[in-house]
Amino acid sequence: MELYAKIRKWSQSKPDAIAVISNGAQLTYSELEQYSNSLSAFISEKMNENKAPIIVYGHMEPLMLVCFLAAVKSGRAYIPIDASIPEERVKKIINDSGATVFLSPGSVPTSLLSDGRFIVMDHHDINEAIALYKGAEPSSEQFVKDDENFYIIYTSGSTGNPKGVQITYNNLTSFIDWMVSDFGLRENQRFLNQAPFSFDLSVMDLYPCLYLGGTLWTISKDLIVNPKQLFESLRKSNIHVWTSTPSFVEMCLMDPQFSAEMLPYMETFLFCGEMLPNETARKLKTRFPNAVIYNTYGPTEATVAVTSVEINDEILNEYPSLPVGIPKKDVEIFIIDEKGNELNEGEKGEIVIAGKSVSKGYFNNEELTQKSFFFYRNQPAYKTGDVGYIKNGWLFCAGRLDFQIKLNGYRMEIEEIEVQLRKLSLVESAVIVPIYKDNKCQYLMAVVVPKAHSFEKEYQLTAHLKKELQQLLPAYMIPKKFVYVSSLPMTNNGKADRKQIANEVGV
Amino acid sequence: MNVKNTVLELLEEICQTDVVKENLDIELFEEGLLDSFGTVSLLVGIEEKLGIHVGISEFDREQWSTPNKIISILENWA
Repeated sequence: MELYAKIRKWSQSKPDAIAVISNGAQLTYSELEQYSNSLSAFISEKMNENKAPIIVYGHMEPLMLVCFLAAVKSGRAYIPIDASIPEERVKKIINDSGATVFLSPGSVPTSLLSDGRFIVMDHHDINEAIALYKGAEPSSEQFVKDDENFYIIYTSGSTGNPKGVQITYNNLTSFIDWMVSDFGLRENQRFLNQAPFSFDLSVMDLYPCLYLGGTLWTISKDLIVNPKQLFESLRKSNIHVWTSTPSFVEMCLMDPQFSAEMLPYMETFLFCGEMLPNETARKLKTRFPNAVIYNTYGPTEATVAVTSVEINDEILNEYPSLPVGIPKKDVEIFIIDEKGNELNEGEKGEIVIAGKSVSKGYFNNEELTQKSFFFYRNQPAYKTGDVGYIKNGWLFCAGRLDFQIKLNGYRMEIEEIEVQLRKLSLVESAVIVPIYKDNKCQYLMAVVVPKAHSFEKEYQLTAHLKKELQQLLPAYMIPKKFVYVSSLPMTNNGKADRKQIANEVGV
Repeated sequence: MNVKNTVLELLEEICQTDVVKENLDIELFEEGLLDSFGTVSLLVGIEEKLGIHVGISEFDREQWSTPNKIISILENWA
């Protein structure tokens, strides 16, 4: 119960210290503790025996943290959903999870307001509940603990529906222990949070920060789309610890001002979510000569990350493609072939993760869980679908076995995009082709066989299809380029021939 | 080198559509043609092809929202 105890301790030893700052709004440790206690008492009373997970919807509002802690203190898992997720997808998550409480510190999606099946609370309602239960102290006996779900994060699924990864209190504790012991983090530091809370990269800064009594400085999507404001915010942040995708730091490196002069307290860079290019790490070292850079690797299904390596000059010179490191102490990594046999050092195969970080599986989905989760040497294990090999003791990643891709750090199944695209009224059939440059996916191309339509020009049809897709998929999953063809070549077993299609459209 | 043609070529490549050449007042961000990662590619391209360095911190989304606006800023770049 250490995470809860730590936050409580900070709320008593330094009640006025800031736990989170987001776009000028902030919350102290004492507010975080008291508000989450009150809201948790409210939830327990309202929900009674209903232990379904609680949805927390928003975009980096400090109140979201209160909602997360209130849910777990009431004994219920929370499902973080970013406000950029379209309503159709939000509804799918609600249906899949059976959630009946929807906490919305930001704006509430309009179509949910009229739906009587659940309790929807906006920030007024949440603040009222907090005021009503002021001073309440939920019993620690009901807190989420051990093997109970702490959070459930929904990630892209190849069937067209997102799937919920269950992370338990034990999974999270094992992750936090590793973070606070192996990365040189200290108490009272300031942490950058760039990823939306629905993306588990955010867990890498959120919980180590709260555990260590630090301050979380969030960078919202409004800032990310406006680099001018982004840099003003960074300059004011005084952060010590940086967590982001490599793509995001590459964008910042574009500006020569992004350096130790701008962020004089920078000590630690943590990267996860996609491949960290050697060149990026080198540039970063030049700009921040005194900071330490860590590369990490792990899927959401194994609680954020499970391997790490400090990127020093020796590693930069030795490995043009950087390693992702060695596993944390309570996790083992195996490389297996398609028959499940373990491979030797240097041989490429599927990465299997076994140990304490591994999730129980997908929420309410035994079938998908059975496909990827199993027991290996008496430990819970997960077949990642990632291809990798071990060399000189380091783990290296080398692509995917299936159609999952990473684009700007976002994980997605291209089959999910295809399922949604094929549903559109003007689409006969369609295939998504990821376009690569330097081993990195640059953008997605949709190859579409259209139905009869009245648009004069192709770009008008494209604009129409993109608009329709925006109702169904998050912006980062919408293909950039659309190409129209009269038919799609098939393979002998009747599937769309992706290789042939890519050739024909000249990739 | 002609600023207008260079910018349009760059935008066509980055946005992966020739609509940017047909409608110079199209709202690049609102239409989902340009995002922050596309912006980065655009600024790199401008520096490479036109020798104009625009720091990403100088990039204001409102002022750079259409092909015409971008061309006008760069034509008047001091």
